[in-house]
Amino acid sequence: MTRFFSLIGRGLLQHRAMMYLLVGFALFPLYTGFADLPFWNDVAIRIMLLGMAAMGLNLVLGYGGMVSFGHAAFFGIGAYCVGISSYYDIFNGWIHIGFSLVTCGLMGVIIGLLSLRTSGIYFIMITLAFAQMLFFAFVSLETFGGDDGMSIDRAEFGLIDLYEPLRLYFLVWAALVIVSLLLMFIVHSRFGVTLRAIKSNESRVEAMGLTPLKFKITAYVISAMICGLAGTLFASWQEYVSPDIMHWTRSGELMIIIILGGLGTLAGPLLGAIAFLLLEEFLPELIQAIAPDYAENWMIVFGPILIAIVMFGRGGLLGLLIKLFQRKGAS
Amino acid sequence: MTFTLFLEQAFNGFQAGITLFLIAAGLTLILGIMDFVFLAHGSQVMIGAYAAASLTALTQNFYLGILFAIPISFFAGYALEYLVIRHLYKRDHMEQVLATFGLILFFNEAIRVGFGPAALHSNLPASLSGFVYILPEIPYPEFRLLVILVGFACAIGIHLLVSRTRLGATVRAGASNAAMTAALGVNITRLRRLVFAIGACFAGVAGMMLGPLTSVEPGMGEPLLILSLVVIIIGGIGSVRGAFIAAIIVGMVDTMGRVMLPVILRSFMEQASADGAGPALASMMVYILMAVVLVFKPTGLFPPNR
Repeated sequence: MTRFFSLIGRGLLQHRAMMYLLVGFALFPLYTGFADLPFWNDVAIRIMLLGMAAMGLNLVLGYGGMVSFGHAAFFGIGAYCVGISSYYDIFNGWIHIGFSLVTCGLMGVIIGLLSLRTSGIYFIMITLAFAQMLFFAFVSLETFGGDDGMSIDRAEFGLIDLYEPLRLYFLVWAALVIVSLLLMFIVHSRFGVTLRAIKSNESRVEAMGLTPLKFKITAYVISAMICGLAGTLFASWQEYVSPDIMHWTRSGELMIIIILGGLGTLAGPLLGAIAFLLLEEFLPELIQAIAPDYAENWMIVFGPILIAIVMFGRGGLLGLLIKLFQRKGAS
Repeated sequence: MTFTLFLEQAFNGFQAGITLFLIAAGLTLILGIMDFVFLAHGSQVMIGAYAAASLTALTQNFYLGILFAIPISFFAGYALEYLVIRHLYKRDHMEQVLATFGLILFFNEAIRVGFGPAALHSNLPASLSGFVYILPEIPYPEFRLLVILVGFACAIGIHLLVSRTRLGATVRAGASNAAMTAALGVNITRLRRLVFAIGACFAGVAGMMLGPLTSVEPGMGEPLLILSLVVIIIGGIGSVRGAFIAAIIVGMVDTMGRVMLPVILRSFMEQASADGAGPALASMMVYILMAVVLVFKPTGLFPPNR
């Protein structure tokens, strides 16, 4: 019985964490406005977008147990949807988003169906292979800038001019809220429960008369589309897109974000994105203060931090928060 | 496309393949026996290349440099296993991916701090920079031929080690059932460390041989790592024979594609865009090959018998 209540309490807390984060992002521009730190709005946009992509990946990784090492490809396809549309003089942002969702959905179906024939290490590697294939495909497309990429204008969203301060910020925020609500719904629906059941014991789910592949592929496609949406908005924010956006290290980055925040939790990826980008911002400064000569080499500290997180940080930041909260509650 | 060029590229492809095999051989055992996703194997290549290049500069002798660099590679692998890797065997694949990803970042940056971001020059001794006539009127660089020979010797060595020695037998046993092998009295901990060190050693040798051919720079291992992962997957995880065949195929496809594709594309495209698209399409072909293999044989071409 206590276990039942602690599970409910944990679920509630997770969603509360999500709610706090979303409200926090809504109020953040107030702070940057007063403190006159417009740069931090950009950091927050990057956090929200990488967090959104990580939330999408988390659906297959955390809830479905499919270790995809190629989700940067969908992020990149989403970004290139803006680039390619702009090249053909289509600047309407809604069309970009629609184009990106359809393309990523289709690619998700194709790549998902082919990759899901394998499992384990083979699945990790085949998803990586597809991502690399797309990476080199975009490198070879000279029309769209090839290796150098292409600069693009921010998309037009009807009356919302993205060049006005904060318009893009709240567009991204709104997308994040929609994605969060969608994922909250998915995770608690029968579909989500089945997905988690597949993660813990696939053959048992099959024995119950369900087809695991149907659930896995659906989750894969949804997560691809979420990553695509994040990529589309990312390209519009960056006003530039190049194959680097889908480099295999970005797939690694998205995984780091998820593990950092908490695997298979709703708020985890967003929390992880905050931690990851703050580390990226502050670690160089910290090293600058200690050893000024080596500020550029902050990765030398970041690598071991990653290893330490894997070795000691089970449950991620969210798990840590929950532990802290529960200890406080118990005493 | 002359016959000379074709033959030369075929040799280059073979040389690239055999170098890939040296990297992939250790990795396939690490993935196969320990079920461990080790992404930092590319860093072992880099460590080998840097050790050889800097020791060559120090001793002013290419052969001495190589001689000292081999044990360094071996102990780098040994130490890495002892310090980090052995704590990660029981973790799931994703955590292994992340931790070894962290190792890559660390090694690349450590090399950058230690040796600077620029590429190291590693000059060949005069005795190796000549040409050999493989056929009348077809010269081929001596060093590349040496790479092929050394690679071939290593490949035979690895084959004999795995299939003919007691160590190899335990390695194969460990690959098919680690728990049972341990129950039969094999010290699995030691076996793992040894396989890691030997794998690192061969990766290091590959790095030493690639040094004079490409550039010795931070991050040089990653493209090689990804290619050797492709090799392992095509060949079947844990199969040394599969890794050899797949390595030759991948090396050939990659090298020949780079040369042939622009030529083929030029027949129906403008020259400039054909030259631009060719190499990238060639790089794609390797991954297309892998995807095709996995779709038809989800466990690779030569999955080890289980």
